Amino acid sequence: MNAPNPTREATRRYTVEILVCMVAYLAILFPAIWALNSGITGPLRIVIALAPVVPVIFVFVAVLRYFAKTDEFERRVLLESLGIAGVMTALLAVTYAFLENAGLPHLSAWWTWAAFMGSWLIGRLIVSRYYNA
Amino acid sequence: MTNRIRVLRAEYDWSQAEVADRLGVARQTVVALEAGKYAPSLPLAFKISKLFGKPVEDIFDAESAT
Repeated sequence: MNAPNPTREATRRYTVEILVCMVAYLAILFPAIWALNSGITGPLRIVIALAPVVPVIFVFVAVLRYFAKTDEFERRVLLESLGIAGVMTALLAVTYAFLENAGLPHLSAWWTWAAFMGSWLIGRLIVSRYYNA
Repeated sequence: MTNRIRVLRAEYDWSQAEVADRLGVARQTVVALEAGKYAPSLPLAFKISKLFGKPVEDIFDAESAT
């Protein structure tokens, strides 16, 4: 027909990049866990522990690239869903922090990550529903 | 904000996906535009105007602007 649709291309590339990041994450995660369990000490232990963060950083690089290339509406949906996720995560974190004061068990920082990812998904659903798209 | 995109699209016998490709946006964007849930930026509004060969004010209704 006419010129290729840049938004469609951005979505396709984003999907490929996320898949590559996930494969890289798994490929780094299990050797890293194995190395940590084998009792490595010193600064190398910190480096190994941080290694799986690298593909996670690239997930957000992929999100930023998608943000830059997609159309204005998709960009708004992404921003609004991230906004909802940020607010929900902050509220959940502060609420649980106060519950810890009341004696509930101290939770790992992993829960903040999980809360952010979960509320990003919820935010996405809320925003998509609002725009009927 | 209401608009006549759905009507014009029917006149041209284009699908939402076809209009999306001609505008270089996602199909969801056309859905949101047609539903009047999303007001486009000025550049996109002019692109829509050019696509249907009608002035912007003939496509978008400023009276119901939100």
